[in-house]
Amino acid sequence: MTDPTPHHDGAATAGARPAEVEIRDLTVVYRTEHGDLPAVSHASLDLRAGEITGLVGESGSGKSTLALSLLNAVPAPGRITTGSVEVAGVGDVTRLTGRRLRRTRGSALGYVFQASQNSLNPLKTVGKQLLDLGRSHEVEDLRGLVRRAGDLCERMGLDADRVLDSYQHELSGGMRQRIGIVLALVLNAEVLVLDEPTTALDMISQAAVLDIVRSVHRENGLATLVVTHDMGVVSEIADRLAVMYGGRIVEHGPAGELLRRPSHPYTRALIGATARIVGDPGLARALPGQPPDLTTLARRGCVFRDRCPLAMPVCEESDPALSEWTPGRFRACHAEPAPADRAAAVPAPRTQDDPIGGRP
Amino acid sequence: MKGFLLRLAAKLAAGLTMVFTVATFTFFLVHALPGNPGDAAYEGYVLGGMPPELARAKVAVVYGFTSHEPLVDQYLGYLGQLLHGNLGVSISYSGVPVTDVIRAAVPWTVLPVLSGLLLSFLVGCTAGVVAAVRRNSRSGGLLSLSGSLMAGVPSFVLALLLAFLFHTLWNVLPYGDTSDVTIAPGFTAEYLGSVATHAVLPVATYALLGYGSWLLTMKSSVASVLGDDFILAAELRGIAPATRMRYIGRNAVLPLFTTLALSVGHMFAGSVLIEDVFDYPGLGNLLLKSIGNRDYPLMGGAFLLITVTIVVANILAELLYSVIDPRVRR
Ligand SMILES: Nc1ncnc2c1ncn2[C@@H]1O[C@H](COP(=O)(O)OP(=O)(O)OP(=O)(O)O)[C@@H](O)[C@H]1O
Ligand code: SF4
Ligand SMILES: [Mg+2]
Repeated sequence: MTDPTPHHDGAATAGARPAEVEIRDLTVVYRTEHGDLPAVSHASLDLRAGEITGLVGESGSGKSTLALSLLNAVPAPGRITTGSVEVAGVGDVTRLTGRRLRRTRGSALGYVFQASQNSLNPLKTVGKQLLDLGRSHEVEDLRGLVRRAGDLCERMGLDADRVLDSYQHELSGGMRQRIGIVLALVLNAEVLVLDEPTTALDMISQAAVLDIVRSVHRENGLATLVVTHDMGVVSEIADRLAVMYGGRIVEHGPAGELLRRPSHPYTRALIGATARIVGDPGLARALPGQPPDLTTLARRGCVFRDRCPLAMPVCEESDPALSEWTPGRFRACHAEPAPADRAAAVPAPRTQDDPIGGRP
Repeated sequence: MKGFLLRLAAKLAAGLTMVFTVATFTFFLVHALPGNPGDAAYEGYVLGGMPPELARAKVAVVYGFTSHEPLVDQYLGYLGQLLHGNLGVSISYSGVPVTDVIRAAVPWTVLPVLSGLLLSFLVGCTAGVVAAVRRNSRSGGLLSLSGSLMAGVPSFVLALLLAFLFHTLWNVLPYGDTSDVTIAPGFTAEYLGSVATHAVLPVATYALLGYGSWLLTMKSSVASVLGDDFILAAELRGIAPATRMRYIGRNAVLPLFTTLALSVGHMFAGSVLIEDVFDYPGLGNLLLKSIGNRDYPLMGGAFLLITVTIVVANILAELLYSVIDPRVRR
């Protein structure tokens, strides 16, 4: 972290630019023996160019499923049942099929997926796979592609010649992760999705990869989505934050404000539990009780009510909708926002102590 | 690279041990048989009025050892002859060296077995990929079913069935011997055509025999590769379907090379029955005949050759594997 400007307080710019990606009312179900069970329910979210959006939530909350929906790539037995994903210059990705869908993946939308450690064909060198990527997207100037990949490699602190001539088994975990990012960006994608980009890495590689993501993001003015269950990661790099629980986006808003003054009872519990130990990935221990899975998820009412300290009768009956309770901040909860929340929703004075302590 | 050389050396050592064991086994087999054939022949010659010295020398030529020396000396003498590529002299083809008899039979087994194996490998693996990719559709299900059925058919039943259908019933294919006896061997279209049509039935039998198990093995291998992360990653990068299929195929076929080497051995063993059905004068046929004629030198030679072939196939598989898998190479 050499950068002095805080990018938590990006609320002022939010809404000014048109969104690069508009997710609206997105529902994704998995077919199981208990019928179609929703892993993502009526989710709406915008990704804007120049912003890093963090998507956090416990394991199983539907983060990866949501992220894969951006590429209309939810694997069977999952499928998108409602909603749309409008990508600037592409259209509604959920309606694309065949060749157009394939060409959109990789060239407009770069995806670095959860198990990026093993995202390469073990039998081919990185360079050959780069050429496969170029040919698949009918890149005319393959030399230019290799040059661009080489530049990206150097930017990421990789020896380009060596890396392009290597097989996966000859590269370390951190190197593979970076190559995953290179391949996601080499076709000039404007949207970058990273699913758990640092989970499998040691602390030093984590910091390096986050630095790289941030600087490439800035330089290319990308719309970036970082999926993680590590609050340390989001407090490091996110401009905006979306919190998922049981397939719903329960709260989203500018990252700094949201971390300082969480409003939804779930977000509060999440942040309260990790405030002292930012960076600890053991979110499952954050709350009493178990996170729901698809079969135990409440079909009616608020999905969080079994673990919620504020649960009321109405929470049994109806599922709270995500609404803008104060400019720029959204939450899905029946309880009245505490007055302190409203007060704190205006950007906090710079002198105030950062209660999260996520920044050095 | 070092690991690879080490493994190759281990294979070579294991192979040589195997050859040595088989050679020893055939030697002692001949000796353990009731009425040691060497002794029996010697007695026969002497009874026939031959001087004992001459009879002993003749036995020594035919069997590669004389039964009057101590067993250890005989054994060492036999091994020494082996090292010089001398397998003795055939009894049933009186006086012809075993190596010559075998050399004449080898191509008629090696070529059909290898082409049948290659054919079944290519067709079976391709069908296996399709069956795995379309495992939820009707065509995929039918393919898998065909594999399961074919994998269960015994070799001689298949050979008899093919001979019956294509020769006896429809009379579209010749059978028996390697070519039409009325055609003079030579580099003529007529002779080569006759050889080719005569080879169809044996080759088809080998090919159909392997097809089922290749299909099933490849199907499960592809299914496991389909679940690998890098395939999903390739899809998320928009890699073209044909390229993805190549990724899948190459990764899935890799573990099959070990099986390929083993099946060379199976096929050679199977050639004994199949060549018998088609009356095809290859190694398997020779082996069967040598057993019938109690031609022990020939028998031992044929056994030895089959063993060597299996060893060589194993080593070739190892080399092939290392060409395809970079993790082995460097
Ligand atoms: N193929 C599948 N079939 C059935 N259910 C699935 C399938 N894939 C995921 N799910 C379920 O969907 C829910 C959301 O899964 P998802 O992978 O999106 O969660 P996640 O938030 O990314 O979790 P993690 O942090 O563990 O990666 C989970 O309850 C999971 O069990
Ligand atoms: S809607 Fe009710 S149960 Fe759900 S988070 Fe709000 S108060 Fe808790
Ligand atoms: Mg996930």
